[in-house]
This record gives sequence, C-alpha cells and structure tokens, in this order.
Amino acid sequence: MNTYTVTISNRDNATYKVAAHRPLLSSLCAQGVDLPYGCKYGGCITCAGKLIAGNVEQHRQVALNNRQLENGYVILCVAVPISDITLEIGVESHDKLYRNPFLDPLEPHELKANIATPKEI
Amino acid sequence: MKDHCCGPGYASPAEAMMAPREKLLYTIAIYTGTGIQKPDYLATIDNDPDSPSYSQVISRCEMSGIGDELHHMGWNACSSCFDDASISRKYLLVPGVRTSNIHVIDCATDPQNPSLYKVIKGSEIKAKTNLSAPHTIHCLGAEIIISMLGDAKGEAPGGYLHLNKDFDIIGRWESSMGDIPFGYDFWYQPRHNVMVSSEWAAPNTFMPGFDLEEVGHLKYGRRIHLWDFKKKEPKQTFYLGEDGLIPLEVRFHHNPDSTHGFCGAALSANIIHWWKDTDGEWKWEKVVDVDNEPHPDWPIPVPGVISVILLSMDDRFLYLCNWLHGDIRQYDISDPHNPVLTGQVWMGGLLGCAPEVNGVKITGGPQMIQLSLDGTRLYVTTSLFSTWDNQFYPEIRTNGGCMLMVNCDTEQGGMKIDPDFLVDFGKEPNGPSRCHETRYPGGDCTSDIWI
Repeated sequence: MNTYTVTISNRDNATYKVAAHRPLLSSLCAQGVDLPYGCKYGGCITCAGKLIAGNVEQHRQVALNNRQLENGYVILCVAVPISDITLEIGVESHDKLYRNPFLDPLEPHELKANIATPKEI
Repeated sequence: MKDHCCGPGYASPAEAMMAPREKLLYTIAIYTGTGIQKPDYLATIDNDPDSPSYSQVISRCEMSGIGDELHHMGWNACSSCFDDASISRKYLLVPGVRTSNIHVIDCATDPQNPSLYKVIKGSEIKAKTNLSAPHTIHCLGAEIIISMLGDAKGEAPGGYLHLNKDFDIIGRWESSMGDIPFGYDFWYQPRHNVMVSSEWAAPNTFMPGFDLEEVGHLKYGRRIHLWDFKKKEPKQTFYLGEDGLIPLEVRFHHNPDSTHGFCGAALSANIIHWWKDTDGEWKWEKVVDVDNEPHPDWPIPVPGVISVILLSMDDRFLYLCNWLHGDIRQYDISDPHNPVLTGQVWMGGLLGCAPEVNGVKITGGPQMIQLSLDGTRLYVTTSLFSTWDNQFYPEIRTNGGCMLMVNCDTEQGGMKIDPDFLVDFGKEPNGPSRCHETRYPGGDCTSDIWI
C-alpha cells in the first residue's frame, strides 16, 4: 500500500503514516489525532488545516475561496496526500481563515473557484 | 387552566399568554468551531427567581459526537395539536446544521435534566431524501416538517423533511420546490392555506463563512415565497431585491385568522411586511429600515444585520436584533403598516455602545431572542453561527457567548436589561461555549401555531 508521512507541526512534529488514497481526516482520526470536523464532505470548513509543506489533492472541497487556498488551507475531510506533508491543525491554524468581509474584501480572483475572475497578469 | 382539553399547548394565543411563568430555559450551546473538542449541548437554565441556582446552567445534555453546530430547534408538538389528547409536548428536536444529525431530546421525563432519546442520523436523511442542513422545525398536527437548506451535497435549494410522530422519516414533505433557489425559515397559517418561506443560501455557501462578494453573485437570497399549504407547492414569489437581501426569520401573526406577517432582511437591515389585501392579492412592503452606522475604523458604514425578529403572542410588538450594531428594538405593530419604535437596549455589537453589561464583557451582539408567553421577558443570546462569529467577533473564541434578559413594558412600550439575570457561557466547565436559540417547556412565541 502506498503511504506518505504526515508531520503535524503544532503537535510537537508528531508523525503519522497515512494511506495515499484515504482522506487525511479519516487517516489521522483513526490514529488518535483529535481533529475538529463537521460535514465530512468538504463543504463546511470546520476541519480546515494549513499545509506547511508538501502537496495534497482536494478537488472535492467546496468550502474554500481562492484566497484561503492561496494561504495554504486544506479541507482535511476530503483532501488526500500526494507527497509527504507537514500540516498545522485545529483552530490554531485558522489565523488567516476568517476575515471581516466588510474590512478586508476579496479581489475578484480571490472568490471561490466557480465565480472567480482569473487574475490578469 | 385547561378546562376542556388535554392536548399540548393552548386553545388560543390569548390563553397562552395566561400560562405560568417559564421557570426553565433550554438553550443550545456549541463547541463546533471553537477549538474545544467537545460535543455541542443543550443547556438547561434555572429561571425560577426564588431558586438558589437562578440564572445558572443546571444541566447539560451533550450530543452524541462533535461538530454538529446546533442552531435552531423545535418541539414535537405545539398548540396545533391542542385537540389531540394522544400527543404531548415532550421532545425537542435539535438538529446539527453541519452534520445533518437530528437529535430528539426528552425534556419531559426529567425537565431539569433532559436526555438524548434518539438520533436521526444525517447519513440516513441524506440517503432517504437527498437533503442536508436542517434548520427550522414546525409540527403540523402530529407530524413534523423541517426546512433542509441543502441537498445531500450541500447545494441549494434543499427542501422539507417530513417526519412522523415517532420521528421516523416519511420522506420529502413538499410536492415541488418550484423555482425557489434557496431555503431557510418557514411558518404557516392554515386558515388561509398559506405557508411562507425565506432564503439564506446554500449550505456550501454560508457554512464556511460570509463572503460578502457572493451576495453580488446571487449566492444569497432576496425573495420570500408563498406556498399553497395543502398542495405543498410554491404559488407566488415576492422579489424583494436590494430591500430584502438575505431574508431570514418569517413570522406570521399568532392570530390564526390574520394574514399579516413579517420578515427581517438581515443584510439590508429592513423589516418586510406582507398581508392579503382586500382585493384578495398578497402584497408586501418595507416597514422598517435600519440605517447603516458610521464606525471609526470602517471604510463604509456598518449595516445592522438583522439576525432575528419575533412577534409577541398578542401580535402587538415586533422585536428585532441588529447583531452588528448591538441593539434590540421593540416596535409597536398595532398598525402593521406603520411600526412605531417604542423601546431599544444595547449589548455588545461593533459600535461600542455597550461593551459591558451586568459586569460582563459582551462578545458578539444581540442575536437570538425568545419572549415569554406573557410578553414581559425577552431572553437574548449573542452567538450567530460559528464561522460568522469567527469573522465578526473573533474574541468570542476565548470569551464565549452569554444570555441576558430584557424586561419589556407591555403597557407603555419600552425595554430594560434585567440587572440580576446573566448566564455567562464563557465560564462553562469545558471552556467557553456559544449559546443560540432558546425554548421553554410550556411553549414560546416562535413555536406555537393555531389551526
């Protein structure tokens, strides 16, 4: 079975071997990591963590806008690793996840993917 | 007081107003989104002024797992079953918006210590009905309907879940959703064969938080829908446009003969009034417009964000909360076309008008309210929805929510925060939690409907 190593930076760099095709939330909870979650289908953002290093595939998530993706957030209930990764988990990782939308508006390219306008380069 | 019947509730709104004072309050409290890895729970609050534990949480009924995000709730039975002796108001149905689990809580066996009776799993609801994200609960006679804001994948418009009195899934209630793009709240007035529903957004849109820009992309609601209640299908839509951005709570008059009702449009901060006119046509108008207020640190004025409205049992007063401004208002709606502002109090909010009340720093603003049946005591909580709280009032993570009581003058009008009542959810045993909707064992001003 193809596995990757997940390092959790805000849990003393604890490491876990996880299956390549299993969502990270499921793999990590099964190994005793205490993670927040809600909908479990990629829609509600409760389980969001921050990717510090490595890559994941998360095409099933529909919760994150492009700014949140740019800031490294991953929806752990649907994201699967495609390399060894380092994650920051829980609300400690949510420093850039929430913003006051009246004070800090999104640019057109920072909206969710289905309504974003591509940034002109 | 019941002299001729033994079903739940009351023969009429006037009889409901004569019920004994509410001595227990049931309020949901959440840990979802707070960083505390504990289940959300139903808090029972002692509300007997003569009790030593007055205004304290006396028991906590935890849900079966974490992450539900409890929000609104409803009784298994109300005054719509007043003639049915086989039914009693015994169970609170407490849904989780994020998990779609619906918890049935027994509040009658030991009213001071409710217990989990049954869980209708979100997975079962999705599999049988293709619905998710339960919100408003009303009983209709011995059965129950619940607005579900999404399909199984969290996309709009969702529909209505139909349960029998034993809490088994019957299926979808509605015959058709017509062209309705979004769901949220609903209320029905059977004598006029009408149901009214409002629009928030798809769960996948509102659950992760509020991206204001998505309003312009039509991802949030701006309509109110009138339904043929017997046919279970929509028959007319009021397009409210800019006057009705994000129309949330809908409230018919309690008087079952009335056609008047109101809705709070959260983002527009307006109150919308509808009624059936003398020509037989249903009409609507804007009757209250809360001005945006300047803020020293904001580039644009702050909208009120009317997060809830409520009508007193005698249909004389309308209460609204401006969650971002921090005020609760009381309007005399004796003339429903011309509400008159008769009272206002402040707690929390972003304008800095009342950062501290009864010795506690208020984080959040007045959000969910419930009124005593006699109309004199209004209970207020401060949390809206975990992700939205985190955006507008991030300190709520460490401070938690709180509940206050407002004494309402039903003779002259007017409101005053009670100095002796405070439930600080920032001091809960498992850490700061956030409180939202409240109900009482004997029924309240947002659950009972008369057939």
